[in-house]
Order: sequence, then structure tokens, then C-alpha cells
Amino acid sequence: MDEHPTSSTEDETGGATRRRALMLGAVGAASVMSIRPALAQAAGSVLMCDIPVPDAGRARGYISKDGQVVAAGTAGAFAPPGRPLKGEDVRRALSSGSNLPGYDYERSRAYLKYVQRLQRGTAGFTCFASVQMLRK
Amino acid sequence: MTATRYRAPPADALLIRELDGLFALYHRPSGTTHLLASPAPELLDLLADRAMTRDALLDQLLRRYDVTDAADDLLDARLSELIAVGLVYAT
Repeated sequence: MDEHPTSSTEDETGGATRRRALMLGAVGAASVMSIRPALAQAAGSVLMCDIPVPDAGRARGYISKDGQVVAAGTAGAFAPPGRPLKGEDVRRALSSGSNLPGYDYERSRAYLKYVQRLQRGTAGFTCFASVQMLRK
Repeated sequence: MTATRYRAPPADALLIRELDGLFALYHRPSGTTHLLASPAPELLDLLADRAMTRDALLDQLLRRYDVTDAADDLLDARLSELIAVGLVYAT
């Protein structure tokens, strides 16, 4: 698998070897979704994927109540989450109306609106699209 | 009793492209496309045309990666998904 990034897990710069972190995930989550030709139906799910909020190009930006990325420190907007949102958490929050784990109602709604505004080509869009497919 | 061994297709049977943090995988023999999230690509890489037991696979993962939640049941869950879609074979 030459195109695969996992073989380059060791960095021997300066003689030190760093290993990439890896999570096996949770029982009940899934890491594989099959796309059937001409049907594009999810046989499983991709729930362990991440959705960065906001994307790396605007990493310092805050998230307004309507999900827009605004300048850091903007009054009424929220600082971005400390780590990317999990696809499974987004799916659960969108389907049940519940909050994202660790965030209150207002902040959860702002982050979810950001996710729902994601466009093709933006980091996290593929994860969100997978989550959407599961909800249908 | 012999422990179950797991094997993935050889690398040339798969076409893999990174896609926005996920991996699109085309399985040439079946013509099926899959979307994979970590750690599925890493498992396929370790098992490519190489059969090993779950314990050996976990050992290889721990050698290669900083696995933050190493547990047999979690690895079983990931292997089961790959077996279910035909990307890993148990022998």
C-alpha cells in the first residue's frame, strides 16, 4: 500500500523516534462504510471520523451563533472547541436535538450550525456527509 | 486449538486515496468502494497479504503506534467490520 500514510509513522529526526497516536475507537462505533455501485448505500458507518471546527485555514476563528466563522474575540461568538468534533457526537446531537458532549446548548447549536454549513472541499465535509447519510 | 488468523488483500488489490481525513478504498477484485476511518487503514496495512493472530496484530500496532485504547474487544470490533465488508479474511 504505497499510497498509504501509515507506513511513515516513524520520524527519526535528531535520532528520536516519534510514534503516531492511534485510537481503536469504541465498540458499537464503526470505521468502515461500503459504497455499493449505483446505489451509494451505507452498509456500515463512518462514525469515528473528525470534523474540525473551524477548518485549519481559519483555526483561530470564533463561531457565531449562526455558525459563521468570525474574528477571534468577537462578542457573542464562541471560541472553537479544543478538539475536532466526532462524527458520532454530531450525528447524535442532530438527530436527537441534544447537546454536544461537554458543551452547553448555545455553544452546541453554534458548532452544529457551522457543521451544517460545511461545503464540499472543506475539512470535515466528507465526515459530515457520511453522518447525514446515516440519518436518512 | 489454533488461534484465528487474519489477513487482508495484498496492496496491489487495493487502491487507496486520502479524502478529507478519511480514506476512499477501491477493492479491485470485488469492484467495491469503501470509506474508511482510522484505524481501519492502519489495520489493512499491517495485514496486507500477511496473516496474523489478533494478539500478534495488537503487538504490531503497539510497536508501530502510540495506541491510546489498546484492548482486545476494541480490536475485535474493528476486525469484525473489516471481515463483514470482505476486506479481511479470518482463517
